[in-house]
Amino acid sequence: MRRKASLILLALAVFLTALAPLLRWYAFPRLAKIPANQYQDMVLEAKGATLLDYGTMKARKVSKVTIVQTLKGDVAAARRIERTAGRDVVVWDGLSYVQGPDGKMVSEIPERYIFDAHSQEPVHATGEMVDGDPVSRTGIEFKWPFLTEKRDYEYFDAQTRTTNPIHYKGTRTFRGVKVYYFEQTIPWTKVAFPKKMPVQGITAESVAKTGTTRWYTTVRKFWVEPVTGAPVYGEEIHKEELRGGTLLGGRAKVTAFAGDVKMREDYVRHTVALVKHNRTLVLLMTSYLPWGSLVLGVLVLGLSLWLEARARRPADPGPARAEEPEPVSA
Amino acid sequence: MRALIAAAAGLAVAFALVLTITTLGTSDGGTSPKPLLTTVPAHP
Repeated sequence: MRRKASLILLALAVFLTALAPLLRWYAFPRLAKIPANQYQDMVLEAKGATLLDYGTMKARKVSKVTIVQTLKGDVAAARRIERTAGRDVVVWDGLSYVQGPDGKMVSEIPERYIFDAHSQEPVHATGEMVDGDPVSRTGIEFKWPFLTEKRDYEYFDAQTRTTNPIHYKGTRTFRGVKVYYFEQTIPWTKVAFPKKMPVQGITAESVAKTGTTRWYTTVRKFWVEPVTGAPVYGEEIHKEELRGGTLLGGRAKVTAFAGDVKMREDYVRHTVALVKHNRTLVLLMTSYLPWGSLVLGVLVLGLSLWLEARARRPADPGPARAEEPEPVSA
Repeated sequence: MRALIAAAAGLAVAFALVLTITTLGTSDGGTSPKPLLTTVPAHP
């Protein structure tokens, strides 16, 4: 009976011990992925920003500029691209909608971002674009890979349509979460006018004809939770100028937008809670389950060996029989 | 010999379980019906 039990425990010990590396290095890389149907929105605000009034072509201080950013996974498009790419793909349709203090649209820039669901590496397919212009991204955008490393990454900038390093600047704690802080500076760069302008009748083409150009610089800051690779907070010190041409009435340049763009407080709280939850799920696959399984496996193996050793021990000799006293003859 | 068979069985079950889990994977469902926002949401 003991030998049978020790064999069952041995099988269980091998099962548990084998499960540990299989979960960490086989299951986790295949299961950890961005779902193709992800939908998320984010509200950012620039309080006390400077905004160009297209009516007077003069920059003015405004109370607040709001940026609503939506990302929506297109599942059907992802499945279609997966058939040729041969890997799990996510297709994100994004919209950055900028609204002035009066609630009117300042700009709206759509984009389509296609990437590997596991590694966040860009996947190139028809439809990849920023504001209607076809692009071929390199680097990451919006999110870092799972198990983010303490190193610089290449980050795609949608305004310039270029990829530049985003530098790891240290480990910090943000609202109780350990995060890696990343920063990227895009120097003043000439960029395209948005296809959709805030004033009716004015188009990117009609502005371009005046010889006026649009320039942009930003300092992009991200606080990234390293287990999930998800930013828990982001900020941008963003400046835009219009330069030269006849549109500015002789002026060399005018500020189109300047502000310190920050995530709205309720979205920060929501994001931190969401990332904390997802972090636990990832840790379950990378740490809790593998280590738990390994420790349990070793314990069960010890128990199995102990039972086996007891089963093999020779049986104890029975109690010594009391010798009957021999009759004594006189 | 019986110990070897028991160990092999444990190993086989571990492989089978992990392969099944990864093959089944996670369901992605369908595209969200929610629109790309052009208004400021009141809350997340």
